[in-house]
Amino acid sequence: MTHLDTDVLAEFRAGLITGRRGAKIAVHLAGCDHCTALDDQLAGVSALLASVPAPAMPDGVAQRLDAALAAEVARKNDPERAGPEPSPEPAASPRRPGHRGFRLMSLRVLAPVAAAVVVLAGGGYGLSLLTSRGGQMTASSAAGTEGSAASRAASEPSGANPAGGAAEPTAGAQEPGASPFKGARISPVNFPFVVSGISFSAVPATLRQQVESALRVPVTSRPGQAASLLVRACVQNLAGSHPVVLVESGRFAGRPATLVVARTGQHDTAWVAGPDCSATKRDVLATTSLPPGIS
Amino acid sequence: MPDADGPWPSDQELLRRHVAGDTDAFGELFRRHRDRLWAVALRTVCDPEEAADALQDAMVSAFRRAADFRGESAVTTWLHRIVVNASLDRLRRRATRPVLSAGDEQAFEALVAQDGDPARASDTRLDVDAALRMLPAPQRAALVVVDMLGFSVADAAVILDISPGTVKSRCARARARLLPYLAHLQGNRSASESVSPAQGTDS
Repeated sequence: MTHLDTDVLAEFRAGLITGRRGAKIAVHLAGCDHCTALDDQLAGVSALLASVPAPAMPDGVAQRLDAALAAEVARKNDPERAGPEPSPEPAASPRRPGHRGFRLMSLRVLAPVAAAVVVLAGGGYGLSLLTSRGGQMTASSAAGTEGSAASRAASEPSGANPAGGAAEPTAGAQEPGASPFKGARISPVNFPFVVSGISFSAVPATLRQQVESALRVPVTSRPGQAASLLVRACVQNLAGSHPVVLVESGRFAGRPATLVVARTGQHDTAWVAGPDCSATKRDVLATTSLPPGIS
Repeated sequence: MPDADGPWPSDQELLRRHVAGDTDAFGELFRRHRDRLWAVALRTVCDPEEAADALQDAMVSAFRRAADFRGESAVTTWLHRIVVNASLDRLRRRATRPVLSAGDEQAFEALVAQDGDPARASDTRLDVDAALRMLPAPQRAALVVVDMLGFSVADAAVILDISPGTVKSRCARARARLLPYLAHLQGNRSASESVSPAQGTDS
């Protein structure tokens, strides 16, 4: 019997493989140090996850929830006066104070390149995003300007009725069809850009495994963003005319790094580029090639 | 998640009082559980702002629909279910619109720095958070509920509204997928470096 696949072993551990197949796996495990070590590591994943302390709720979030709850109570007590669309966020309770700094920053850096974003993305979302972010900033100190989250939730599907239709009353919050991933399959200019913060490995075999895992996940289910001009330039420099499969921002040896995967013939190639990578400089920190057919 | 040997009034009693018109009961119930509910929202949506939105949506929804609670599961299970639903709903909406648009090197670095702020959390938590983002949302939600919050497979099935077998298989696939990212954190660095990449090729 060859060594056990990680997926198979994980299913076996979860009790999903029984009967003769399960018995064969158990016998193999008893006599194979390699697979036993892998098995221990899988057990270690659950143990590690259980050991991570739960994040404390930030004070700003707690205050916001208290305010929303107070508004609900007021509405319940006096539905006539409170009206059907209560504002759970009075001015006394500033919305998300902890995030204001980040909003300011993202607006500041967004402004000089909004036009470029519009051109590259071929749509209006760059601009609409800019204006909506600006609106949100001023709204952060004034109640009710931005449709209240609680009134949104009024038509939300709840746990008691999970199939109950995801009504979306806040059309202003999203532009239909504005996803940067829409139609973004394989093209040197229009590629999926994922923000993961993953620490890319310097070991080629481990890096290859990371890339293979990354490619198995649908890009749309992962946090993404529009790629910056610098990232685009870097990608073009590395991939040349080869189709780009994935670009992902993460870390390498504690520094910001960008993973670029391109179909370079029979084998895909993955590069981890450092922050100095540009149209003229290939700041490659690590590279690996992938077996054909992965992407 | 036993109601029986928890604090008095029990969760179920608080919910009953809320439905009966007690204006303080729901607040007490929610405050009792909100740290865990925050954890599940934050780890499911991977974004503090979206998590806050999801949790608020869920809280309001639970407040208004408390009368629908039938007592077939523990109150905490019911609350977690509503929060997970609101979180996955947020993610579904986010998939249809741009998350952020950044324009230059500064923004790019700021984004990574936002993840890498050492003052915010331990390295382990950061690595775990980053690794969780690698998972498709349904797998992530299952793993958070079972491995991180410690719910039984049966309770997780109620929370996620899927069969126990699906809970198990989502968790199994998620653990296998996370292995390459987390092996180095298990305090067995040399073994992890030699075993996981060499899977099936040597030894």
